[in-house]
Amino acid sequence: MGIALEQSENSSTIRLEGAIDIGSAAELKGHLVEALGAGLGTGKAVRVSLAGVEYLDVTAVQLLWAAERAAKASGVEFAFSGEAPAPVQASLAETGFEKFNATMDAI
Amino acid sequence: MANADQFKHSFREEAREILVDLESALLELNDNRGDPELVSRVFRGLHTIKGSGAMFGFEDLATFTHNLETAFDEVRDGRLQINSELIDLTLSAMDQIRAMLEEGAEGAPAPDPAVCAEILAKVRHLTGKPESRHKEKKTAAPTLPDAVGGPMSDWHIRFAPGPDLMLCGANPLLLLNELRELGGLSVKASMAAIPPLAELDPERCYVSWEMVLATSATPDAIRDVFIFVEDNCELTIEPASNPVSSAASMPASDRAANIARSNATSAPACAADAIAKALEDIRSPSGGRRVYDKADSASSLRVPAARLDQFVDLVGEMVTVQARLSELAARSDDPDIAAVSEEIERLTAALRENSMTIRMTPIRATFEKFRRLVHDLARDLGKNVELTIEGADTELDKTVIDRLSDPLMHLIRNSMDHGIEPPERRAAEGKRPTANIHLSARHSGASVLIAVSDDGAGINSEAVLARAIERGLAAADTPLTETEIFAFIFQAGFSTAKQVTDVSGRGVGMDVVRQRVDSLRGSIDVTSKAGEGTRVTLRLPLTLAIIDGLLVSIGDASFVLPLANILECIELTQADVERANGKHIADLRGELVPYIRLREHFEIRTPRPPIEQIIVVQTEAGRYGFVVDLVLGNCQTVIKNLGRFYRHVQVVSGATILGDGTVALILDPERLAQDAVRAITQATRGRPTPAAIAAAVKQGLRERSAAPQKAL
Repeated sequence: MGIALEQSENSSTIRLEGAIDIGSAAELKGHLVEALGAGLGTGKAVRVSLAGVEYLDVTAVQLLWAAERAAKASGVEFAFSGEAPAPVQASLAETGFEKFNATMDAI
Repeated sequence: MANADQFKHSFREEAREILVDLESALLELNDNRGDPELVSRVFRGLHTIKGSGAMFGFEDLATFTHNLETAFDEVRDGRLQINSELIDLTLSAMDQIRAMLEEGAEGAPAPDPAVCAEILAKVRHLTGKPESRHKEKKTAAPTLPDAVGGPMSDWHIRFAPGPDLMLCGANPLLLLNELRELGGLSVKASMAAIPPLAELDPERCYVSWEMVLATSATPDAIRDVFIFVEDNCELTIEPASNPVSSAASMPASDRAANIARSNATSAPACAADAIAKALEDIRSPSGGRRVYDKADSASSLRVPAARLDQFVDLVGEMVTVQARLSELAARSDDPDIAAVSEEIERLTAALRENSMTIRMTPIRATFEKFRRLVHDLARDLGKNVELTIEGADTELDKTVIDRLSDPLMHLIRNSMDHGIEPPERRAAEGKRPTANIHLSARHSGASVLIAVSDDGAGINSEAVLARAIERGLAAADTPLTETEIFAFIFQAGFSTAKQVTDVSGRGVGMDVVRQRVDSLRGSIDVTSKAGEGTRVTLRLPLTLAIIDGLLVSIGDASFVLPLANILECIELTQADVERANGKHIADLRGELVPYIRLREHFEIRTPRPPIEQIIVVQTEAGRYGFVVDLVLGNCQTVIKNLGRFYRHVQVVSGATILGDGTVALILDPERLAQDAVRAITQATRGRPTPAAIAAAVKQGLRERSAAPQKAL
């Protein structure tokens, strides 16, 4: 349950597990900023693993969206690893965040 | 998160109101079982409680309510008939919902899982459906739209949460799910307002939604989904044929996508327009208010009662300071100061008047909740009773209303148990088989009259008198008026009931009524006719915050006696005292009135003036005189509580601050007379003297007025 940031030589992986909501929003932002910072000028990619997610609320979605934008602007590679479970995807689609997992651009 | 608690609190308050309305709708439905409007009212109430409950984290409550909602959905569709069992089940369910709402609050009964399960099992038996959870996906057409029965139409909804929406514990995604229950919904989230990551406040919602909802629900029903967040969001609901989405023939999902896309892509092109509009907003007289602050979004406000009390308190202090200013202005010769002082006096009077009306609320909610009590008691006692209500819109101070619930409950229970006869006896006496209890409220000068009347058997005054004599409350040979006899009913532990029932008969209830009415500075009047019924009228002041009083002085101390109790003032000379042979009795046009020297009673050790004044007051125990040095005049004063330390000092009901800054104690004539009579036989040492109380009040006020400065 929760958020973990794992650093390896080539990438920073943020692993999301369980319910990611307003309670963990500040923590998620911290990890995203840190991972993006680590990628600046080093070519270290940012990976966000969604495989263990049970629920994403709007604060999490908008953080991930903003992080992806920031990565693109600063030339850091940003990608999702591991698809969000089907119920999470369905619930996101129901609330207007379509094709969340395919690409953040589609949102 | 304090905000989330606050939001939960406001949900609780809203839900309590909805429950009151639900309860009266259910009871009305019991009498008019075919009324579709009432069924809809019940359904909508349950629906709102369920939806909002889920949103604010009351999951159990939402699931429980969902099952009841399903039952009323079936009633609406004609698949289930309204019967007493369903109404009683729903009423019992209301109690459980109430308990779930208040769970954790001090003194609140906890919800009983066994009772809940039993209710649900019975509801399921009635509907023939398995238990369902409110979160279950709707597969086929949604159920609610039929409720409203209108033709299907498309609505374009734009929902932009305000900055604090998430912090308040609300979850916009749940709102969308709620909306989906109303009909076919296509949603498009707009991310246009999300700032760069570094500037993003992680706990704020930047996303807004464009939706198209195909439903037969009315715009009001759609708006109801947002009822708890309406003040904290931008919400527009327009028919989808509006120019905003001209391609009406497109599938709804495409239309929503179009709207969202056009909003997102056209943003840069419109930037100049947007800036111009923003500037215009700032320049406008409203000072660039946010759209969700707009005046028509809320015609009334929900304000915590404590904040209102604080406001009234401050106005009270303002009145006091203004009185001092007037006094200073009168002493100075400066006409400018006099003019300013008069202006402030005028404004303060208007402010006080206004602040008092803010606290006024209609008594309707208090009256309505007794429908349930009468319904339940009638069932338990096997009597047929209808409750009629009159003057429910009569307004009185919220503090008074809050404290009125208990006494009214005791009066109604008493009427139901003792007053109203069993059906067979009513039939034998040729009375209408359905008895009536009538609750009424009306204004009468600065008082409000609340009456509880019934058409029952009336009070047996002989039995009351016999019991009073038996208990030593009355002498067997003294003739008493009916009013005096009925007064015994309100004595502690007095009961003529031969049998103590669950409902009444312990002699506790009526004593509570008297105590509560006393504490509200009110009076009770009982009229009763054998065989025709009883009427108990409570006369209560409109407000507890202000009192019309007579300002008197003894030595250096000032006191206020409530004008309501005062009959007249007479002089007491040395010659009068000698004529009475030193006895504390005054001759009031032939009537002997015992008097109490407040100087002696309060141990004020200043010399007595040659001519004193007797204030003659009417108390329950008869007429008494209170002797003071001087009568200073009438005054309308703002009452301040003495605080917990002096709560046992019953002769003083409060304090007020005079124009010159001194404290005057407000005396309670009723208690003062009792206390004085007791004091004759008991040693009075150790009681705090008025001077000590006044000093303590003043000290407290000084500390309080210094407190905000300390905080700075």
